[in-house]
Amino acid sequence: MTTLALLLALAACPSWAQQAHEEPVWWSLVPLAPGRAGRVTEDPWIREPLDAFVLERLRAHGLEPAPPADPRSLLRRLHLDLVGLPPTPEEVAAFCADPSEAAWNAAIERLLASPRFGERQAQAWLDLVHYADSHGFDKDKPRPHAWPYRDWVIEALNTDLPYGEFVRMQLAGDVLEPGPGVVATGMLAAGPWDFVGQVEVADGTSEKRRVRSLDRDDMVATVATALLSTTAQCARCHDHKFDPVSQEEYFDLQAVFAGVDRAEVAFDADPGTAARRRELQRDLQELEQRRGEREAELAQLLLEAPGARGLEGERDRLLAALPEPDRTGSMGWHSGLAQRPDELRWVMVELEEAGPADAIRLHPANEVFRGHAGAGFGLPEELEVEVRSAEDAPWRMAGSWQRAPGPRSAANAPLLFPVEEESVQAVRVTSRTLFDRGGDFCFALAELEVLSEGSNRALGATVRASDTIEAAPRWGAAMLVDGRSPHAPEQAPLDRVESALARVRRTAPGAARVEAELTALLEERTPLLTALEALPPQRRVFAAANEFQGEGRFQPVGGGHARPVAVLARGDADAPGAMSAPGAFAAAGHAAARFELPGDAPESARRLALAEWIAAPDNPLTWRSIANRIWQRHLGQGLAPTPSDFGRMGVPPSHPELLDHLAARLLSSGGSLKDLHRTIVRSATYRQASSPSALARELDGSRRLLSHAPRRRLDAESLRDALLCLSGELDLSMGGPGFQAFRFEDDHSPRYLHGEVDPRDPALMRRAVYRFVVRSVPDPWMQAFDCADPSVLTAQRFETTTPLQALALLNDGFVLARARAMAARVEAEDPADPLGRAVALAWLRAPLPAERQALEAHAETFGLAAACRVLLNSAEVSHVD
Amino acid sequence: MWTEPGATRRGLLSHASRGLAGLALARLLVEDGLLTGEGRRPDHAPTAKRVVQLFMSGAASQCDLFDHKPLLTERAGEPWDPGESVELFQSAPGVVMPSPFGWRQAGESGRWMSGLVPRLAERVDDLAFIHSMTSRSNVHGPATFLASTGFTLPGFPSAGAWVGAALGSANRDLPTFVALPDVRGLPPGGPKNWAAGFLPAQHQGTAFQPSAAEPVSHLFPPADAGLGPGQEDADRALLHSLDEGHAAARPGDARLRARVRSYELAARMQLSCPEALDLGAEPRSIRELYGLDDPVTADFGRRCLVARRLLERGVRFVQVWCGADNGFPRRNWDSHEDLERDHGAMGRSMDRPAAALVQDLKQRGLLEDTIVHWTTEFGRMPCSQGGKGRDHNPDGFTSWLAGGGVAGGRTFGATDEWSWRAMDRPVEAHDVHATLLHCLGYDHERLTVRSDGIDRRLTDVHGRVLHELLA
Repeated sequence: MTTLALLLALAACPSWAQQAHEEPVWWSLVPLAPGRAGRVTEDPWIREPLDAFVLERLRAHGLEPAPPADPRSLLRRLHLDLVGLPPTPEEVAAFCADPSEAAWNAAIERLLASPRFGERQAQAWLDLVHYADSHGFDKDKPRPHAWPYRDWVIEALNTDLPYGEFVRMQLAGDVLEPGPGVVATGMLAAGPWDFVGQVEVADGTSEKRRVRSLDRDDMVATVATALLSTTAQCARCHDHKFDPVSQEEYFDLQAVFAGVDRAEVAFDADPGTAARRRELQRDLQELEQRRGEREAELAQLLLEAPGARGLEGERDRLLAALPEPDRTGSMGWHSGLAQRPDELRWVMVELEEAGPADAIRLHPANEVFRGHAGAGFGLPEELEVEVRSAEDAPWRMAGSWQRAPGPRSAANAPLLFPVEEESVQAVRVTSRTLFDRGGDFCFALAELEVLSEGSNRALGATVRASDTIEAAPRWGAAMLVDGRSPHAPEQAPLDRVESALARVRRTAPGAARVEAELTALLEERTPLLTALEALPPQRRVFAAANEFQGEGRFQPVGGGHARPVAVLARGDADAPGAMSAPGAFAAAGHAAARFELPGDAPESARRLALAEWIAAPDNPLTWRSIANRIWQRHLGQGLAPTPSDFGRMGVPPSHPELLDHLAARLLSSGGSLKDLHRTIVRSATYRQASSPSALARELDGSRRLLSHAPRRRLDAESLRDALLCLSGELDLSMGGPGFQAFRFEDDHSPRYLHGEVDPRDPALMRRAVYRFVVRSVPDPWMQAFDCADPSVLTAQRFETTTPLQALALLNDGFVLARARAMAARVEAEDPADPLGRAVALAWLRAPLPAERQALEAHAETFGLAAACRVLLNSAEVSHVD
Repeated sequence: MWTEPGATRRGLLSHASRGLAGLALARLLVEDGLLTGEGRRPDHAPTAKRVVQLFMSGAASQCDLFDHKPLLTERAGEPWDPGESVELFQSAPGVVMPSPFGWRQAGESGRWMSGLVPRLAERVDDLAFIHSMTSRSNVHGPATFLASTGFTLPGFPSAGAWVGAALGSANRDLPTFVALPDVRGLPPGGPKNWAAGFLPAQHQGTAFQPSAAEPVSHLFPPADAGLGPGQEDADRALLHSLDEGHAAARPGDARLRARVRSYELAARMQLSCPEALDLGAEPRSIRELYGLDDPVTADFGRRCLVARRLLERGVRFVQVWCGADNGFPRRNWDSHEDLERDHGAMGRSMDRPAAALVQDLKQRGLLEDTIVHWTTEFGRMPCSQGGKGRDHNPDGFTSWLAGGGVAGGRTFGATDEWSWRAMDRPVEAHDVHATLLHCLGYDHERLTVRSDGIDRRLTDVHGRVLHELLA
């Protein structure tokens, strides 16, 4: 209390505050100054340059470093820090036999090269960007394709992607590496997403404006916090009260993200495929444009053909006279359901024998479904009709059809496709864009006719299809050619007129030429479509996206455009002020704050500009921020102990020169994070014992001077992984959808029932980084051990000690199952001394005689699994020296 | 409770070199009490020591429970025209709809109470009503978060976590903050409503489910774990000796000692939790008071009685949920379709137990320093939705407080003539939170913890103490 009073008095002293005002530049904004080495450079204790900085400060306070930790503790610490798993007893035995510098360095290199390294290090990054596999908010719906981003982080850290690149990709991977790069932007999308606000709340309401603004706020907060250790989000309602970020600058940051939403998008995992797809799509688009021009020309020619106008008028009159459709009895053919509109669905009619034909006529179905208008039910937005003259003849395009924009009002009208061929043996109709049933997609037709001189040759023919829903008496393949369509009985006169119309059109002057051109264009199109279909299927990821398939009121900005962003008075979405332009904040000092992009620049240019601004080698915050975070992972706390706040309300670094040294080293290595990990774990500082001397405890209890190593409790993920490791059940398969340690009930509001799973389910045996993280309902076991809450950006886990942890470790079915498995494992591995083996696995040492005696007595009375349960609960497993 | 103080921050102190960093350090030290579970010294003399919050999930209708407006009866069935355009959550405004439950005067004050809450009407002179509650959101999830944490976004500590962190524990065998969710399911946002947010995990609400096979998660090993007779105690004894040895080899580490002790506390919880949850010892009169033998009131009644037992045993904050999340058939107060049917069922399940809790606390002398806080996320419209239901109304609804320094019988604020908009002194959740903290002895503006660079408060940058309601 005396200390506190003294401190408060000091803090309140005006000269201190004055000093802060006079200070020209705050420490974190000073340009990086490498090369200021410590004065003590010649000392046998020093292993790495960084040690000199530490030793200098220790000696200045009359302290000496702690002695090195014993080899067993050291190797266990190294394994848990670098790869998050304990070493094997054999690895420890080997290192204890040869704890040389060479052996230490070899262990470091082995672990840095292990795929487990990325899995361990990714967790801290995922905490920081609040990654989860569900959206959060009140309807916490699953986010089934978040995991590719998680896998990307693991992969990037395993391949040691230079940090600058790591940053750039996460902000603008979609433009830096078209195709797979979009996955990296999962960082921007990692946070919560308000399903109700985005999908259900109407545009133009203040609720919607608030939802969108808060969504961008989360992106700004994530980027500024994780990458810059800056609390820019504090400037949403007013200029930052302590740091040099104005409210205008905050909204300039929001403008950077004004073109993207969090959404699921399709992508090609292979950049070559992505490039090929873009090329094909561009060619297709160009072709479509040319075809559109020819179609217009043809329409004009047909309109002017002799006799056409009269027949058209007659046709329109007959159509208008059609009575209400018959919705009883047979409806027609209905494809299987599709999840996306671009899935392939087709239907084909094979005539008994080849013969003449004037036209193919398709009758749209008329079914009311989920409130969708009946006329035109199932009719694709776009379809193609092909015919062939014989079974072995090639398919020829007879025509294509695209729904005119606007209401589906004329969808009762049959579609007529004149036929060029002398003879037709089969007709095939393929959907290019399926009918939207509201949530899923399909293709349906009431009737397909092959008209010849006013009669239908397709009656009773053979129908084949991509897939069919057989639901007699209304839907079925045979009903496509049963002569029953919604208007069938009234159609005889119409048939005659349409046959005649087809003949007139075929002979219209000039039409043949244009039709030939059109056919040629359509034939040009076929290989493009075939090539597109032949591309490997696309994958899906939840990421930042400008274009995506919308849902309800959640629709993309699209076209590379961005939504307007204004400075909001007091952060109130209903009080917009001046318009914002993409930029960052001037105080960083290394580059212009406003990005000055050309007016027609796509929105991605904004994100790219911010990426470059952040990843610039002379950005004073970026490199200090990440160097401090990596240090924190190995030494328990950052040199600056508020790792996400380098501002005036944070705590400045204990060793500013050391932090700059680490940041400069990271830069000079080309941004290699592995190199930074390497220098830290090679250092004498890292290798100190975790038991402080009496003097060190007195003078450096908080370890700010780094007089000894931290003793830590395993975090939730490491503890769970360790249990599986000791029981011999750990499944090291990497990547893919997260395993679900809960029972899921889909409902109006989904429910995640943790614990209601079989603890022996093999799916649960993977590393915890691969678990499906539910945002709203945390896994109670993981939560007890302070796992990160994905609603917030977690830079450092709490490390509490609670009876709930004791209960979770004693009584959870999952832990008890591991104890049984461990007992079985050690009995198999060492039948002569299973208990010795169990202790070796858990503690990486032989038991003391008293320990062995107690454990053996216990195993004898209650079984080996009981002894394993006790070992798994022991502090020597849960804590790291 | 739950934890040892962490490493001291004296080291930080000696290296605070300059400027505002000193202030930051001072703040860290002040926060220490909040972060370690030791609690904070009060800012002034408290009038209350504990809180029980009765949370009506789904939005309980003020104009069918407590906020009587004769105009709704006078204009029944007429198109509702409050004189300005109305933006509703789901529907367009329907006709004026009087409460189907009728109204009667109660208590010495003669205040009007709905026919749906006859038991609460008997206790009306103990209750202090806030009729001018408003919410910042018209959507259940954010509005529920606002009422439970002070923020519409998830990730903030629940009021119960703040209270537990400030007061510290009064019983080392039970959590400081317990949530009792509805047997039908969790409210919108689920456990985020009793989460610790950026406060340490020991402050989070522990969910007790008194009717479940396993009322407290992990309290006992699963039945199929196959533990032999006597093994539980023997396992713990062996673990204790091993961990003692481990700690002894690492002298001076408070956390290792705390860990040994946490296993002892866990063992005590195995006794204290079932004891607190065991209603067998309660006399017949108490069971009847809470309606335990009537299927309509049994679940909420059981949880209100458990709440009283927990408060008696030193738990600081108990959250009792009445209603779950949205789903069909309705399992909360969200009566869009048929108010008489759905509010009828919820009201009958709530009335007797809530009144019993107030009465029971009073007869034990506990009401003097216990605050009962009845609330919901927002209210409902005075007009009908689809003929028989009511849509959301964030602009005016009712909460009430009792005990712990609150003056029973008082009323604060009022809605307009329709029971639509708060007209007289509108109140937000922050104001109620500020008032709760005030009664517990804390200035809501001084109870702060740093998170992501911001000194966070339960009341954000808002909140005023409703002195008018205090005795």
